[in-house]
Amino acid sequence: MGEGAARAELPVPLFCAGGIATPADAALVMQLGAQAVFVGSGIFKSSDPAKRARAIVEATTHFDDAEIVAKVSRGLGEPMRGEEIGTLDVKLAERGW
Amino acid sequence: MKVGVLALQGAFREHAEALGALGADVTLVKRPEHLAGVDAIVLPGGESTTIDKLLDTSELREPLHERLHHGLPAFATCAGLIVCASGIVDGRPDQRPLGVLDVTVRRNGYGRQRESFEADLKVRSLPGDAFRGVFIRAPVVERVGAAVEVLAAHEGVPVLGRQGAIWFSSFHPELAGDLRLHESFLHEVG
Repeated sequence: MGEGAARAELPVPLFCAGGIATPADAALVMQLGAQAVFVGSGIFKSSDPAKRARAIVEATTHFDDAEIVAKVSRGLGEPMRGEEIGTLDVKLAERGW
Repeated sequence: MKVGVLALQGAFREHAEALGALGADVTLVKRPEHLAGVDAIVLPGGESTTIDKLLDTSELREPLHERLHHGLPAFATCAGLIVCASGIVDGRPDQRPLGVLDVTVRRNGYGRQRESFEADLKVRSLPGDAFRGVFIRAPVVERVGAAVEVLAAHEGVPVLGRQGAIWFSSFHPELAGDLRLHESFLHEVG
């Protein structure tokens, strides 16, 4: 903790993943200190995966340039949709329902 | 001295830390305007086809090529070497190397991630201890032109060299915990 505080960053690389669906999401975690962003369903469950993948990569590289993040965010089609938990067919645990 | 580090993707942070530790004024290069006033540049390792695409989207391809072509000193490491090469074997068909180094490289020539390795290298320009080469999905240098001076080889294959002001390595010198190569690069361009 002391080392992290002194450096104002983690002593190891930080990879962020989970729920990243837009270029702005990727830029946000990079601004928060990530060195890399890992995106799966956010790309594959979108309406135009190739275009969205490219836009997320560009937003990750240029995370501190709002103009570029805004530019690559345009015209990407539909993002990944969140799913209502009560409608899921597969439940990973039976408790708590 | 102001040293740029191409920061589109890959190990730019580790290079920036190494150069900063040696007292260089380091600037991360992500856009054409970041090249202004740069006295030298490091092209880091990473994933060469990703860097290739980002050179276009960041509008850096032409200005970077222009500066390198006109003698900007550079240290191109691993994927950076692929970016600078004149020929790529096993690249993507749409990959366009800058062609500022008269070498042909085979992308991922040393194998996939699990074949990554370290090796002690005898560097001609560094007296004393061997330099620990960290090879990560490294390219194999298959051909070097007459203008290339080879500074180190591994199993008979060039792994470190230079052509004029452009230095190259197929390994990652920034990960060795040994700053001698960065130091000699800075010493020469400074």
